[in-house]
Amino acid sequence: MNHLAQLQADFQAYLLDDAQGTSFIEAVVDDKKVGAKKRLSIYHNAYRLRIIEALATAYPKLNALLGDVLFDNIAREYISAYPSTYRNLRWYGNQMREHLLTTLPQHPIAAEMADFEWTLSLAFDAEDVPELTLQDLATIPPENWADLSFTFQPAIKIVRTRWNTIPIWQALEADETPTKPAQESTYQSWLIWRKKFNSQFRLVTEMEVIALNMAMAGATFGEVCESLECEMDEEEAMTTAAQYLATWLQEGMISAVKQK
Amino acid sequence: MKKQSNIDLPYLGFGLGLRTEHYHPIIETKPKVDWFEVLSENYMVPGGKPLHFLDKVRADYPVVMHGVSLSIGSTTPFDQAYLRDLKKLADRIQPAWISDHLCWTGVHGQNMHDLLPLPYTEETAKHVAERVKIVQDYLGRQILLENVSSYASYVDSTMSEWEFISLIAEKADCLLLLDVNNIYVSSYNHNFDAKTFIDGVPAKRVQQIHLAGHQNNGDYIIDTHDAPVIDPVWDLYEYTIAKLGAVSTMIERDDNMPELDVLVEELEIARKIAQKVHAPNITPVEPISMRVAGHA
Repeated sequence: MNHLAQLQADFQAYLLDDAQGTSFIEAVVDDKKVGAKKRLSIYHNAYRLRIIEALATAYPKLNALLGDVLFDNIAREYISAYPSTYRNLRWYGNQMREHLLTTLPQHPIAAEMADFEWTLSLAFDAEDVPELTLQDLATIPPENWADLSFTFQPAIKIVRTRWNTIPIWQALEADETPTKPAQESTYQSWLIWRKKFNSQFRLVTEMEVIALNMAMAGATFGEVCESLECEMDEEEAMTTAAQYLATWLQEGMISAVKQK
Repeated sequence: MKKQSNIDLPYLGFGLGLRTEHYHPIIETKPKVDWFEVLSENYMVPGGKPLHFLDKVRADYPVVMHGVSLSIGSTTPFDQAYLRDLKKLADRIQPAWISDHLCWTGVHGQNMHDLLPLPYTEETAKHVAERVKIVQDYLGRQILLENVSSYASYVDSTMSEWEFISLIAEKADCLLLLDVNNIYVSSYNHNFDAKTFIDGVPAKRVQQIHLAGHQNNGDYIIDTHDAPVIDPVWDLYEYTIAKLGAVSTMIERDDNMPELDVLVEELEIARKIAQKVHAPNITPVEPISMRVAGHA
């Protein structure tokens, strides 16, 4: 298969603008109707346009934030830097955040927007798991709660922002004119998950992030309460942890419970 | 693998490609569509809405799986994770059959996300046929290979596209998905007679037909799937089914997406042509010039 293998390597190199592909044109029929150069350029252009379209679909708010011209430039640079190894273009944009951190360091909000949009899209088709309810927990006697640990849905992720990325995302989502990019006074954490089939997000406090990370790592309800006692008294810690747990259950984030 | 012939596979009638824009109207109104073709890769995901809606549609309709990333003609090894996930999806939705394109999409682990043409040689046909056998053994069923629209051909080709396709189908004992629009597009781009192509493929192996719209740029045509099927392609379809008999037929639309009922109406044209060809005495059919009225 040496001949075919060489032809395919050369064609791919041509599409990717690698030097190896420069003589590939000689392998293509050149007729009076349409020249070989033009015939190949159809593939060359289609490769880029198809991927740019897929990136624009994956990152609609980033596209709106940057404008079509800058987004197109960024996408073309991305295509050169990260040739696709994915079977579906839906997964292709997964390094956009990193790409923007290096190509647009003067606009850190761009990388934040990419991070948020990508994480939200991952929740969209994350694995389906059962949803545990408050009623399911009600069957467990209160004295056993300290030993309970929980399994969370795989869609859950936390995105941190330093800019007004999410208010801009929300304005664009509502077809409103967003405010100008601005740095917030502190970092903010946004919890992303899925309720039934819809991706959700909300602002979370740093204390809830700690409790959630612990619980997701397998800590028991008792251990989560103890960790909160660094910040508050025992009773308040218990109440706060119970509130968190109730919220996570209501939001459909927990899929299973087990007793140690 | 147990050898089969496509006599074992059902005739499904007239179908459409399942697209996200139409999930709700399909589930809620159960339109007059006999079956749906789904793009395999779109459902090779962990969970969420895509699989939820696919399961719902599958509960009401026969479904076939159509892939774009098998890369049957590639010279680098198969993506084993791809094959595994393809089989997993097939186990879940039990498609009537599975198809992909007679092309290559990339080498060395990269994907160009395009249906790139192969040189029509004995050597390539042998290579592709061997890979088709591997896939058929793995999936435990015959697969369908589709002819692609192409914009370039190779100086090394030693046979016609239809000879190449026929050779692979015979060597691999696989089935064919004849894209009548792609035949039209490629015949325009490469100056051959589309009917000669249709005459040249083994009729008994053609299990499915694709129809679609395209974009004519004057000196060449791009296969865009963003417009209604044009009259010359309908004429070619009529010629094809007159030659091949009743073949499960569907319309592909991927861009400039109309409402579902527009596509259901367009599918009626295919039904009427089939009726005219195969049962001309039952119901009179309107003339060809009327076929695309209203959505040209």
